[in-house]
Amino acid sequence: MPKVKPHRKAPSIDMTAMCDVAFLLLTFFMLTAKAKPMELVQVDTPSSISETKLPDVGTLTILVGKDGKVFLDMAGSHTRRELIEQMNTQYPMSLTEKEMVQFANSGAFGVPRNRLKSWLDVEPSQRDKFVSPGIPTDTIDNQLAPWIHNARLAQFKMKQEGKVKEEYVIVVKADQDTPYKAIQDVINTLTDINVNKFNLITSMEGDPNKAGAMGAPPK
Amino acid sequence: MAEMQVKDSGGGKGKPKKMSTRVDLTPMVDLGFLLITFFMLTTTLSKPQIMALVMPDKDVKLPDLEPVKESKVLTLLLGPNDKVYWYEGITDAKLDSTDYSAEGLRKVILNKMDKVKTQHGMEDYKDVKTQEDRKGSFINVIIKPTKESRYKNLVDALDEMAITHVRYYVILDVSELEEKFIKNPAGGLNFTPEDQVDASTTK
Repeated sequence: MPKVKPHRKAPSIDMTAMCDVAFLLLTFFMLTAKAKPMELVQVDTPSSISETKLPDVGTLTILVGKDGKVFLDMAGSHTRRELIEQMNTQYPMSLTEKEMVQFANSGAFGVPRNRLKSWLDVEPSQRDKFVSPGIPTDTIDNQLAPWIHNARLAQFKMKQEGKVKEEYVIVVKADQDTPYKAIQDVINTLTDINVNKFNLITSMEGDPNKAGAMGAPPK
Repeated sequence: MAEMQVKDSGGGKGKPKKMSTRVDLTPMVDLGFLLITFFMLTTTLSKPQIMALVMPDKDVKLPDLEPVKESKVLTLLLGPNDKVYWYEGITDAKLDSTDYSAEGLRKVILNKMDKVKTQHGMEDYKDVKTQEDRKGSFINVIIKPTKESRYKNLVDALDEMAITHVRYYVILDVSELEEKFIKNPAGGLNFTPEDQVDASTTK
């Protein structure tokens, strides 16, 4: 009887299934995820029990940094284009056509009007080196109000032209350590131009009512 | 683990050599997972959460509403260093301080709710959405963040309103009197009724 020969083939695993899974996941992530927007300011939002999600419409975001600097960001390049044209006529900033296109395609900004031109001239990749002083919000020189007001008008115009579907949802995204003074200025600015409904971005926190940690208070 | 090709030892002479059609997929799997990792790290899946805030309109004068009963009012002064000062009513107000924990501010609000419920009982109100007549007991909370407070304090206070289901609350500015009050609680708070007249008409 011949001896049983040991199997000489190296153990191998069929990788096809694993490959299928990997690419399935990859496809899923690519289709569902949204690119992380580049943030000018690091904002660590406070937590709340609110479970309302930001609606999937155009947002006008007011970013308030830890140091109270105010930045503004809005969605939609059509609206941004319209807005910068409006602002340039109302408050001459002598922007060129190229700079206006640049504005329409960039993200959040936080410079006073007189420095907007120089900010737009900086290459987008070099912008993080540009020190933004924030948009002035104090009562003496409130530049935030015309920006928001005109942005809403521009968005409304775009809606009428059928380029966008919704009007802006105003969102305030502030750092939890921002002094209240800065928030107060922003809120006052908003209510002054009759924006009385806005949203504060918060991060997740457990609802004690649901967790049963505490008896539900009387309704 | 690449598959090792082992030479067939007992191959016949005239037989065509059998070639394996299997492709080693290991590098492809590697690549797939590498890309997954990349996408997971660079993208955001969840939409941010929002907390809606409605401020009273500055221009619209509200019609004369029935003044709010003093005993139903709870004023929160959001002070520095994550401290919250609070007092009830206006006359002979006593200042007390607490923190934003469940044992602190929430207890204060719930206590006030119980007090108002026993004192005033249930009241009729109309549900805004369904227009149904209902009964309930309400307190009015005035939130006044001081200049030294931080944004988190405001959100925490608003959160507390949501947790305890406070129906009527408003954010107002701190008056000088109250700032003095925080510094010297023993001095007491001597409000004239006009000082807080606009405090309770809005949500």
